[in-house]
Amino acid sequence: MLSKSSRRNLLLSTTTVLAFGLISPAAQADIPDENYQPVLAHLLGTVMPPKLDDFHAATENLTSEFKDFCSDPDKGGLEDTQTAFHAAMDIWQEIQPWRMGPLVANGRDQHIEYWPDKHGTAARQFRKLMFDKPAPYTDPEQLSSASAALQGFPALEEVLFADDHGDQMIAADEDGVFLCQYGTAIATNLSTLSGELQAEWPEFAPAMENAGPDSMDYPTAKFAATDLYRALHEGLLIISTQKLARPLGENAEDARASRGESPLAGRSLRNIEHNLIGLFAIYDGTWGDVGEEGKGLAALIDNSLLDRSFKLNWQTVANTFAELPPSVAEVLEQPDGYAVLTDLKGQIDFLTMLVENDVGGNTQLGGGFNALDGD
Amino acid sequence: MEYQRRNFLKLMGVGGAFTLLPVGLARAATAPNPEDRAVYISASAGDDGDYYVSAFNASGKILFEQPLPGRGHDIGLRPNHVDVAAVERRPGLYGLILDRHTGDVRAKLHCPEDRRFYGHAIYSNDGRYLYITENDFDHARGVVSVWDAEDGYRRVAEFDSFGTGPHELHLMPDGEHLVIANGGLHTHPDQDGRTPLNISSMQPNLSIIDRRTGKLVHQAALKHDWHKLSIRHLDVAANGTIAAGFQYQGDLTDQVPLVGIWQPGSDIRPIEAPDTVQYRMRQYCGSVRFDASGQVFGISCPRGGLVTFWDAQTNDFLTHIAAPDGCGLAATDQAGEFVGTSGLGNGWRMDAIRRKRVELPDDSLKSQHWDNHLRRIIA
Repeated sequence: MLSKSSRRNLLLSTTTVLAFGLISPAAQADIPDENYQPVLAHLLGTVMPPKLDDFHAATENLTSEFKDFCSDPDKGGLEDTQTAFHAAMDIWQEIQPWRMGPLVANGRDQHIEYWPDKHGTAARQFRKLMFDKPAPYTDPEQLSSASAALQGFPALEEVLFADDHGDQMIAADEDGVFLCQYGTAIATNLSTLSGELQAEWPEFAPAMENAGPDSMDYPTAKFAATDLYRALHEGLLIISTQKLARPLGENAEDARASRGESPLAGRSLRNIEHNLIGLFAIYDGTWGDVGEEGKGLAALIDNSLLDRSFKLNWQTVANTFAELPPSVAEVLEQPDGYAVLTDLKGQIDFLTMLVENDVGGNTQLGGGFNALDGD
Repeated sequence: MEYQRRNFLKLMGVGGAFTLLPVGLARAATAPNPEDRAVYISASAGDDGDYYVSAFNASGKILFEQPLPGRGHDIGLRPNHVDVAAVERRPGLYGLILDRHTGDVRAKLHCPEDRRFYGHAIYSNDGRYLYITENDFDHARGVVSVWDAEDGYRRVAEFDSFGTGPHELHLMPDGEHLVIANGGLHTHPDQDGRTPLNISSMQPNLSIIDRRTGKLVHQAALKHDWHKLSIRHLDVAANGTIAAGFQYQGDLTDQVPLVGIWQPGSDIRPIEAPDTVQYRMRQYCGSVRFDASGQVFGISCPRGGLVTFWDAQTNDFLTHIAAPDGCGLAATDQAGEFVGTSGLGNGWRMDAIRRKRVELPDDSLKSQHWDNHLRRIIA
């Protein structure tokens, strides 16, 4: 929950933002198209590729840990594999909001993580899978053409964290042997998918970086940069409307941690914490030890007070998530847990409003006449 | 995708080798013809909450701007007549009949107190009757009103649209039936007239009614899982094929089709673009238009800044062309070619066969934000 001081910071900076938000974007001169090009080059060419390398390395390590564990299953090996799962999931959650190009090609984002699963498809298919134990699901190549619900992180989460699956794998009984083979196939498949992502990004990014009038995909750098702005905006909307609103339900009685993302691994809020890291990179241009401060969308904002205020607000929200337990379930178990989660959603909605009004307005990427108000 | 496009080029009789044409020749094929006397007409807006019906020629030169009392949407063209109908977008109260050559107001339509116009109007082939989609908001019921152009545009009848939130309507090729996109969204003027009030229970459909009796002849809906796909815009080919564009009211990450093909009497067939394009359509289609040949249709996606093109024979996705904030689409007299307009003031000729986009040369077009729909008139 927000401390009094952080709440005060948020409110103070809100006042600051509101004051500066009165500057109408319409009154500003058009930002020259060439100003968008360095932002594209930095985010797409400098910042993203090392993160895709990290993701691929994390999935390769996950595969390796799974194989090691299954070759001689014990509790330590299971914990190491679970740790490798978390490491791969952390970086995936940072990359996830950059929904463009290779991330969405061939349904790749869904194959990596099929969520939200509104109809409980994964659980239903998993039960059937455990009953039949079909051999093709232990072959990574054949698995890659199976249902998306059975080939990515949520399926692996089921294998590693659900019920007695860990014990079964350690016991190496019939179910456990199948789970080991199936889990290794999923990890290998994730490694393949992350490798494709890593390989295809350098082919995709130049189309945006080299936007120009002859391009049928990106006729201006500003238009290309709009996709980055949308990733930032939609990333926040998805956190609010799906990652938080789904477990919150209609009211406290209706709240269900199981409707959150990654509930079995107990990391629904940890996912959001990492989403915010990847999203902030779009604005600020830094992502961990990669990139350079101020070279993201912030480079287009000619108002240092507004920039500082935005970053302060973002940091306040990010700190709030970092201080919370990693799972929605743990928060909901607290007496004021529902109110805490509701407050978190409110904070994300507040950031969304800042992105729409201040980032969208001042970068002139917020959308046009028809995009914003069509019929 | 490339294979589909190559096959399509063969079908269109252009051999499939156009990508090898010299750039200059390919461009010449899509540049505006100076002899082209077509006029394009659309609702538009200025920078200060000022709204118009505006017309421009094939080069993009604005010919007239007629101020409107509120934001327009589509323009209905009276066949063989100077009249065009501009109906206010939802929740609309006015309709103006304008002279297509000058923009002068020739008649005014007033929406009944318990109805609101929804922005679209279409004339019968003989030009006598004008049909307008409306909202009977107190009963959450869509209606189609009938206005007699030969009797001072008197409102003479009202039919059920057989759905909620009717939006675009078209005459079927037989001239005797109307196809209506019932978007499924209930709105009420007491709650701004635009905010959807029934997303969880919305039931969009496509309905065909007899234009003389109002009797329902055909109706089709999407499967229940897709009931949040508001069916908003459509166009009809000469052979009766109906192409429809959807606007999704559900989650950003839901994977849903955004385009449908309907042969009345059968189910609506949903079709999708490749993932990278489908995603960029941003769950929202703005307008739908068949080309002059009826073999290609374009669907604009202003939120994604794309126009997508589809093969009407096979229902395959053909290609897409970026069009920032592009929405208005009109077919030129060339197969596979369209003129598109944007809310940023752009106008383009777009060639779906050669995948070319050429900006209209006259800058006067840029003084306006071009609204949802564009119509072409042969001068």
